Amino acid sequence: MTVASVTTDINIGPFKIPSNAQNMIMNNYADRNKISIELVIPEPMMSRSLATLQWIHNDRKLSLVILSSIYQLPDEGNKISEIINNMSEVNFHFAIEGLNGKGGDFLHKCIEEAKKFMKISMIDSTKTKWSELYEIKKNFN
Amino acid sequence: MDTVNEINSGKGYAIVKIENLENFIQLRKNFIKNLNINSNEDEDIDIVREKIAKMNKSEINKAMINLLKFNNLSEIILNSFPKLVKQLCGEELLIQRRATVIMNVPGKGQAKQWPHYELMSGISPFTYVIWIPMHDLEENSGVYFVELEKSLELIKKEEAQGLVNGPTVLNMMSDQKPVPLKFGEAIIFNPFVLHGNIQFKSNLARIAYNVRFQSFKKPILQKNTDYLKYYKLN
Repeated sequence: MTVASVTTDINIGPFKIPSNAQNMIMNNYADRNKISIELVIPEPMMSRSLATLQWIHNDRKLSLVILSSIYQLPDEGNKISEIINNMSEVNFHFAIEGLNGKGGDFLHKCIEEAKKFMKISMIDSTKTKWSELYEIKKNFN
Repeated sequence: MDTVNEINSGKGYAIVKIENLENFIQLRKNFIKNLNINSNEDEDIDIVREKIAKMNKSEINKAMINLLKFNNLSEIILNSFPKLVKQLCGEELLIQRRATVIMNVPGKGQAKQWPHYELMSGISPFTYVIWIPMHDLEENSGVYFVELEKSLELIKKEEAQGLVNGPTVLNMMSDQKPVPLKFGEAIIFNPFVLHGNIQFKSNLARIAYNVRFQSFKKPILQKNTDYLKYYKLN
């Protein structure tokens, strides 16, 4: 039974996190929660199926997996079912959100939360000024 | 002016009564129990405050870690103000994943909070903050607020100088008067309102909660799933 952390593409939902920073986030999370990481799994960029993770799980029988965020979970139907079916006994931890749990219900809840947040409009802080933020609030319909 | 307008476009903050006081009293009992400092949940809050005031930083840190068990604090606080929260944001909310517990211990080196506005942290302009003490506040031990109009003026003035929270704002601490509150009262304010606290004299620690929330239907700024979660009011 192995404990693994997983790095993915730099684009993680609304965040842009280089893989070395992903490792820092997950290592710090593991340290705070007294978890020892034994294996670091690099997923390829531009992929959200976590296929490498599942392939390694078939061989190594992972017991606990740390990801940086719930946004790294698959967001398409068959990819979601695959990870839920293959890894329902694995304890998943999401460092940025501070969430952990296992099983289909837990993973579904995390995926749904990520999807909900992806639908929320965002104010681009690089394209606004402090003094405009109050106007945005005042004029929002 | 009604409370919602007062918060949005009046002073920017309002003192409100806890709507569901029973809920909040139970929350205070759970807080005392979860602190794990040899107090039973019915112990007088001032005795608990006195114990906290005598603790060193490491013991306080340990007590704060014990409070991490309290993972639904945000929901409990918001359900103490269901009508007002619904008036401000509707039923579908984005709420702070973990509400903040603040324990200010009296004495030298006591935490002072310099003036700031909540927006600085990257929360959305559509966010509201509830700040609630767990007991009556002694004189000057609460939070002071700078009215919205004045706060916005300062934001603009600093922006013109290329600053955010520069000396003009930071030097405001000396002449501020904190808002007095009794147990059962809270302050709700918008994220543009400058606020902070000053050093106070007491033999007892000051304990308060605060939580941030906004409508799920309004835009977010920089805070995302790292800080917020979806929640539907009961």
